Amino acid sequence: MVMHRALFTWFILLVFFILLCLRLEARTHWNWFLIFLPLWIYDLIIFLEVIFKFVVTLVKYKQFKFGLEKHFLALVTALFLILGQIMLCLKLEYKSLELQLIHVLIPFWITLPLLIFAVVCSMVHQYSID
Amino acid sequence: MFFSVRDVSKWLGLHLFVMCIMLVSVLVFTIILVIKFDPNIETPANDWWVIFSPLFVGDALCAYFCVIIFLRIILEITIKRSILKLCWSVTFLTLIFVFKFLLCKKLLAQLSLDYSEVFAPLYILLQLIAFRACQQT
Repeated sequence: MVMHRALFTWFILLVFFILLCLRLEARTHWNWFLIFLPLWIYDLIIFLEVIFKFVVTLVKYKQFKFGLEKHFLALVTALFLILGQIMLCLKLEYKSLELQLIHVLIPFWITLPLLIFAVVCSMVHQYSID
Repeated sequence: MFFSVRDVSKWLGLHLFVMCIMLVSVLVFTIILVIKFDPNIETPANDWWVIFSPLFVGDALCAYFCVIIFLRIILEITIKRSILKLCWSVTFLTLIFVFKFLLCKKLLAQLSLDYSEVFAPLYILLQLIAFRACQQT
């Protein structure tokens, strides 16, 4: 199962980088939202998976708080990742909006420390087992 | 989520500590990037090297950590396994470094390469990652 997911991620990244190169070289003038289409698909799948797991936990344990605690990190990360990408696309596509880079990067500044926290937690867990 | 942290670590062949260093360096990079584009702060025109410096420092730290891992595996497990792990780590870090280096040069207009050529190390890395994905169970 991990292999399929890894290959799917690889395919998404490959298509995204190809589209990104085409857009950066000005060979196409497609909308930036279209360039990010592979990532939107990926984000949607991640978000739906997180929501599905959250609902399953909710049905199984019938405790909203427990479900939220269990999937809080994944939910927040997925949401802010999508938000960050939307902001980035808006900044790149609609220059008239005059979005500042600091505003675009705020969702990423929330996501990145959360990811670092998840990696550190995993590292601590691994060493406590060893 | 779609992957657990361990799945990603196993797939990319990177230690969790290396992943942590990379994430921190990206975070610092974005902060410096914002400072560069802040109209209220005056920065030198050609300071892309400074902006990219957290990423290069992160790469250097990762390389240092990989050498330590290599030596520890030699002492504790086998030479063959340690060499295989070192080869993968060196390839991964080198390709990432070359991409950042070329991107930096391109942004400074010191290079007449297209973006597709700048992204070439990433494409090679993606192919290698695809091979590794096929080895996953």
